[in-house]
Amino acid sequence: MGMVRGLLGAAALAVGSALMASTALAQTTITVWSLDDENQPALNLAREFSEMDNGITVVYREIQFDDVVSESMRAFATGQAPDIIAVDNPEHALFAARGAFLDITDMVAESDVIDPDSYFPGPLASVMWEGRLFGVPKATNTIALYYNKDLFRAAGLDPDSPPETWDELVETARTLNDPANNVYGLAFSARANEEGTFQFLPWAQMAGGGYDNLNAPGVVEALELWKTILDERLASPDTLTRGQWDSTGTFNSGNAAMVISGPWELNRMLAEAQFDWGVALLPVPHEGAERSSAMGDFNWAIFATSKHPEEAFQALEYFASQDPRLFPEWGQLPARADVDLPETGDALKDAALKVFLEQLQYAQPRGPHPEWPQISRAIQTAIQSALTGQMSAQAALDQAQATVDGILN
Amino acid sequence: MKRIISGLWDGKGFDIALVVVALGFLMIFAGLPLIYNVVMSFQKVDIFSLGTFARPFAGFDNYRAIFADPIFVPVMKNTVIFIVASIVGQFIIGFSLALFFTLDFPGSGYLRGLFLVSWVMPGLVVGAIWNWIFAGDFGVLNFALRELGLIGGNIFWRSDTNFSLWAVIIANIWLGTSFNMILLSVGLASIPRDLYEAAELDGANALQRFWTITLPMMRATIGAIIALGLIFTLQQFDLFAAITSGGPANSSNVAQYWAWELSFREYDFARGATISVLMIVLVMIASVVYVRSTRYEVRG
Repeated sequence: MGMVRGLLGAAALAVGSALMASTALAQTTITVWSLDDENQPALNLAREFSEMDNGITVVYREIQFDDVVSESMRAFATGQAPDIIAVDNPEHALFAARGAFLDITDMVAESDVIDPDSYFPGPLASVMWEGRLFGVPKATNTIALYYNKDLFRAAGLDPDSPPETWDELVETARTLNDPANNVYGLAFSARANEEGTFQFLPWAQMAGGGYDNLNAPGVVEALELWKTILDERLASPDTLTRGQWDSTGTFNSGNAAMVISGPWELNRMLAEAQFDWGVALLPVPHEGAERSSAMGDFNWAIFATSKHPEEAFQALEYFASQDPRLFPEWGQLPARADVDLPETGDALKDAALKVFLEQLQYAQPRGPHPEWPQISRAIQTAIQSALTGQMSAQAALDQAQATVDGILN
Repeated sequence: MKRIISGLWDGKGFDIALVVVALGFLMIFAGLPLIYNVVMSFQKVDIFSLGTFARPFAGFDNYRAIFADPIFVPVMKNTVIFIVASIVGQFIIGFSLALFFTLDFPGSGYLRGLFLVSWVMPGLVVGAIWNWIFAGDFGVLNFALRELGLIGGNIFWRSDTNFSLWAVIIANIWLGTSFNMILLSVGLASIPRDLYEAAELDGANALQRFWTITLPMMRATIGAIIALGLIFTLQQFDLFAAITSGGPANSSNVAQYWAWELSFREYDFARGATISVLMIVLVMIASVVYVRSTRYEVRG
């Protein structure tokens, strides 16, 4: 009897909540997944959009960087995918090519807010698949060379002429290297994950190679240079296992004289680094050589399974309309050429921004290719087996190229 | 009707019901995933066919690909080294500690309990702590070894291909030792004291007593410990993720970590499943050996 009463109670409750839901039917609910926390744009923008009087409520969920792809694909496979997702740009094609993302080409054509021509070519290429638009770049970033001006001065180097070529970089690193005081000449990341690929590809591209041309002579030279840097202990052996954030940490604490990393470090560096520093463009193979850099950061996309594509697109329009706030409020770079970045008033930050904006013009997307994770893996394997001396740079890159050929053809 | 019900509560029916419940539980929570895993290793699975069951049949393609992979041999070698070194290390240190605590000095009970702290800590936390200890430039371990004059320069535990696997093994031994010690302590406590007294009267020295009484009486416990140790080390994933990520250059990559990398880094779930199947075979062989070794056991 008790159980029957319990069941009745549950039924009443269910009817009640169904009634309540129907009175609020005017509200459409969309879900947004992103890795941003309260100090980053997506969470704040989603909240603002939800609070607007437009009949759309946003449910926001924060996901960790490492879980974005596996979590969303599990959700997609079981029909639980969110309406909107922020996905790392090299992984965009993985979803777009398989029809998991909504083709928004026509919606964008009719939009007054989103204009594809206003975006930088690199980020735009990463949201395209077979000539169609499958998303909107959320922000963008790239890498450049940070250097410690105080250590430059102490070593008798000119703090206003940072290294410009690879040879100069190695020479400078040798000069600045000071094991007795626990200072390495350079810090970067050759870790066996996407970060390693992200850091290595610019070198390959500057030398005339690329992810589809890995055993070009210049690329081999680049990898040999990395090996020289590690063999001579100009960078910590932990470069092999440490990510960019931790590597830059050693620069901030004065244990590395230079570091290769991106603008996401700026706020922390301003707070932590107790010395004068500057940012320079990535050194090139030789004077006058073509510049190149990596292109990072996330894209917005709408899942093809979304029941409210119109509302989801409205949300994207709102996010894009707020791009001018990205840098002043959250320190991120908008992926657009038509957004002016006002001076922040902090001399170090403004100088750094100028360099990053110039570097951004040379940024190239990784891929796009639906099998990117496997291509990236082949590159990481080559980097690691050459740097640990298991293979020569040539043999390692030949093997990587063979793997990539197998994937591309 | 009444007979059926009473049969359920009493006699054979009850026994069968109990077995069915246990088997059913095992089937649903262990059997089905196992079968699913085996099926998956014969299919072509990517992230978008993960949700369906009807996936293209791949025959032995996944197995061929795994065996032909240049890292297959090094990974298997690492796996064997990791298992053997971890189990041996955990067992020897655990057994020594267990014997030490049988001395029953004041406070030994509390101390023994405190040792369990390492066992209750999550693997990722243990990994993070060992990460700091192993850090190349500023690690505690390097500092200690340097001060003791054992090493000239820093050892890059996590980034040197000669040390990376051993770094994880050391952390794993630390993690598993206390569990070994507790189980072995229980085993030691169950050996009747009068056996030792009798042996002593007969003039057996400590080593002889250990060799002829302790070890044979502990046979079942030791067998169980080693079987469990095998399972725990094959399960050990967190430490790899936290300390070396299987690197550098796969020098500390083991089967379980490789399976995860294939599944969740390259999204090739079929090959990840294939490695799991190979690991299951390995565990099965080990359990057969274990069961056979305890079959003719004489209980004291």
